[in-house]
Amino acid sequence: MKKIAPFTIALAFLASALYAFSAAEKTADAAKQGAAPAQPAKAEATKEPLVCFESRKGASEITQREIKPGWPNVKCSPTTGAALWYGDPYEGTVPLGKMPGLEKIPEGHAVVRPRSEKLAILPMCAVACHNGVGPAFVPPALPKDKKPVPIPTMEGLLPALKDLQHGRGRIWCLDCHHTTKRNMLVDNYGDPVSFDQPQLLCGKCHGDKLRDWRDGIHGKRIGEFASTGRKRWFVCTECHNPHNVQDGARNRGFAQLQPEPPPQLPRGMKDARHELVHPIPH
Amino acid sequence: MTHEETPSADPAREQEAERAVPPASADPAASAPRASRRDFLKAGGMLSLSSLMGTAALMVQSDNARAAIEWAEHFQKNYRLMTPQEKAEARARLERRYSQEYGRKVNVDTTDAQPGVLMGYALNVRKCIGCRRCVHACVAENNQSRGSRPGEKIEWIQVLRMERGEFAKEKMNQGYPEGLGIQVGGNAYTPAGEVLEGQYRYEPAAVPEKDATYMPIACMQCEKPPCVKVCPVRTTYREPDGVVVIDYNWCIGCRMCMGACPYWARRFNVNNPVLPKEEINPVTHYLGNRPRMRGVVEKCHWCLQRTRHGRYPACVEVCPVGARKFGNLLDPESEVSLILARKNVFRLKAELNTFPKFFYFYD
Amino acid sequence: MRQLIHFAADYTGYVLRGGAKFYAWMGALSLLIAGMTYVFYLQNTEGLIVTGMTSQIHDGLYFANLVFLVGVAAGAVTIVFPAYAYHHEGMHKVAVLGEMLAITAVIMVTMFVFAHMGRPDRLWHMIPIIGIYNFPHSMLAWDVLVLTGYLILNFVCGFYYLWCKYTGKPINRKWFMPVVWIAIVWALSIHTVTAFLISTMPARPMWFHGMMPIRFITTAFAAGPALIILAFLIVRKNTRFWIEDSAIRLLTAIVTWCLGIALFLTMSEVVVELYARTEHANGLYYLMLGLHGLTRLVPWFWASVILMVGSFVLFLIPAFRNDMKLLPIPCVMAFAGIWIEKGMGLVVPGFIPTPIGEVTEYYPTFVEWLMTLGIWAFGFFILTILLKGAIGILQGEIKYGGQAAVAK
Repeated sequence: MKKIAPFTIALAFLASALYAFSAAEKTADAAKQGAAPAQPAKAEATKEPLVCFESRKGASEITQREIKPGWPNVKCSPTTGAALWYGDPYEGTVPLGKMPGLEKIPEGHAVVRPRSEKLAILPMCAVACHNGVGPAFVPPALPKDKKPVPIPTMEGLLPALKDLQHGRGRIWCLDCHHTTKRNMLVDNYGDPVSFDQPQLLCGKCHGDKLRDWRDGIHGKRIGEFASTGRKRWFVCTECHNPHNVQDGARNRGFAQLQPEPPPQLPRGMKDARHELVHPIPH
Repeated sequence: MTHEETPSADPAREQEAERAVPPASADPAASAPRASRRDFLKAGGMLSLSSLMGTAALMVQSDNARAAIEWAEHFQKNYRLMTPQEKAEARARLERRYSQEYGRKVNVDTTDAQPGVLMGYALNVRKCIGCRRCVHACVAENNQSRGSRPGEKIEWIQVLRMERGEFAKEKMNQGYPEGLGIQVGGNAYTPAGEVLEGQYRYEPAAVPEKDATYMPIACMQCEKPPCVKVCPVRTTYREPDGVVVIDYNWCIGCRMCMGACPYWARRFNVNNPVLPKEEINPVTHYLGNRPRMRGVVEKCHWCLQRTRHGRYPACVEVCPVGARKFGNLLDPESEVSLILARKNVFRLKAELNTFPKFFYFYD
Repeated sequence: MRQLIHFAADYTGYVLRGGAKFYAWMGALSLLIAGMTYVFYLQNTEGLIVTGMTSQIHDGLYFANLVFLVGVAAGAVTIVFPAYAYHHEGMHKVAVLGEMLAITAVIMVTMFVFAHMGRPDRLWHMIPIIGIYNFPHSMLAWDVLVLTGYLILNFVCGFYYLWCKYTGKPINRKWFMPVVWIAIVWALSIHTVTAFLISTMPARPMWFHGMMPIRFITTAFAAGPALIILAFLIVRKNTRFWIEDSAIRLLTAIVTWCLGIALFLTMSEVVVELYARTEHANGLYYLMLGLHGLTRLVPWFWASVILMVGSFVLFLIPAFRNDMKLLPIPCVMAFAGIWIEKGMGLVVPGFIPTPIGEVTEYYPTFVEWLMTLGIWAFGFFILTILLKGAIGILQGEIKYGGQAAVAK
């Protein structure tokens, strides 16, 4: 977790205003995650490093580099820009942390890529507006109907909030985000948990999925396949966008993405239009 | 089961001898001080052309080192029958040839099946979105041919797109058999769930499509593989850890196995694989992804070069939806064992009694 | 031993000499053989990319011809069996010609095997002891065994018979007759095993039924004798060797009824497969009507149906089958019809669709056609030599101690 020194507040504030402006044009997804290509601080004018996305666009990304001569950390698809191959599955990971049911896994064998690095507006949260401690700031009384007061700045940051379908109206921001510590999520006990461990929050409702995820059935892990092996675990929000669950009439819970190119046509075949014809008349 | 060593993909293994390639120079004289042994011998040979010895040396050291190695490869035994000594020799031979051919150190692993491991695979068909990332990850890992002429581009995984189909009111009068007047109405047949009506070359702008489901198919690593049974020279066989492998150097290219496979998992190298130097994966296994040759059959081997060292197969690692699961069937805690214990699973074409170790499941 | 050298010398001397017609024929065949040699070289340097075979349809013209020619080889038994089992006079005289045809057909099969293989240079891997011979598991191992055995049996029977005629010694029936009987049964085995080769693959529903061996044998016993009749008529016309009408009549009867049974079996299969129209019928459906709008084999199939049914009808008309001038017409029709039906019509649709439902088509290349033509030319080349030599001996034109004669 990042500790933000007070002197960065002003900078962050400025950035948030800039960001809110640019985010208005982006998709809900990209806006929420903070669209890495838009990070101005890291812009390298000379050579654009190859950045490929992992599970879905807007979530985790990996910058290609050579670990050893001729051995990249990742290979990316030239067609879609998706990560296609891992030379180092553990790049940039931190320990997953304690979790019931994982006692057999040796220390440090369950690792994750910290989500907080990717969430561009996270550094502002809990320091800019919702710092919860300033003498001038009094937390408003929480609305009983779970309908938040529309705040233009907030909706500018996250257009998906205007039509939050998660829970179909039964949950709202502070069911998931900590009331006073806005850079944290909230677990079963109402205690703050890191954005790097969203499973502690999501599992509150989606317990079956949490169990499957813990056992490796749901979700994705890379690295060593042995049940006690060293693995990078993909956390919930690397694949799912909690602010937009209705995307494309669900599409199995995933946002649509561009597929990789189809296989080559065998010799003599001109096209694959015949595949669209149904052989049995009906 | 824990592995002490790091995964095979660890770059440290191939760090040693990056072949010293002389820097390119427009002036041939510039490279003179760095003359290789071959050049030296060539020069020596020129001086004593009449000498038989010189000529012989020239021949041995000529560009045909590759041919010489291939010649030796011609007479090697079936991999399973090799002594450890012969395996080491075969491995060294291949490493030399590949390293020369691809201009970098290529490692040919010969690690045997690990005790206590029986590999298994499970795929969540409900999750698959048909993005074909596994297909291309497989190609990046396994050194398949990737030329542009027909037949030169080989992919081991096929993703089948099936229409969801629909039964709509408007189609009520279109039932089968149409036009014969036998049966009209109440039979608005559409190909819902029809496997053999699927598409393999779908190219939408984005997947998953609303009206389609997807099913990837590759080698099932059957417990009773028909391909192994029909092979006249036993070049393809099942390893103790459950993977059906091919000794590419023993294959005679008769393609009986391709005919016998009910999953169309096998591909034929119609020519010497087109594999650009910069795209080769230098971490290979003898029975796995080492570069193949013209006229032999190849197929998925669950990334032996990775899995024998504990690492997930490449397709599992890139699946963006986590539909692909891999693990040790003998370990009750492994993903695959837990899926078998907890989920509804099916084997493709189970009626053929091939007993695949590749399971489809849904949740 | 001296006799043997004489035999070889006389035989070679006899078969290599002939008239202008003979040299023209052999020269034309040699040209095709040269072409075949070139494309074989091409296949083994470039790879099978020069052919139309793909990972989807990985057996094509070569395998089709292979299957067909195994049938022709087996078909030779239609001469040998009546000759020895029924002591048919006319047949007995020409039984050795049938054996020559069998030898030729098996050699052609071997050549098609070589053309088909991805790595013919590694064929030694199949040789027991130095290689691995997956027997009895692999059906291909069985096939190699029966084909090699059949070649040896026919070679032994045929050339021992000729040898006896050459030297004038009596045939040692003590061992000759058992070998002949083994060869007769063996003839059935080669085609049965070839049928098993593809019918034991549940992955290919088009082939996966128990009717395949009998269908193979009936078509073989139609196509083989049809070719033999043609060869006999040519021999009758071009040499002094007279083949009895009774032999040709018997062969005609065999062709007719084997063709009839073959047609009946085809019809049964069509009814069974297309009545229910399961997905397993897709291959046959592709062959007959096309699948997914792809119809490349449809004209071939119907051509073969017309040829086979037409020849069957013609065979039934006495005016046709008894007229030695008209007889070649239905024979050629039957031969061509079966070549299509059993070759391309059986092998290629087995791969369409693939076991997982991908529909593609087969586009044979010029290389494949040239190779096929070349191997057939090679077959005719050998057949010409073998028949010529055999007839020369039977006619007494080559004889131990006699003057080497020149054939017409």
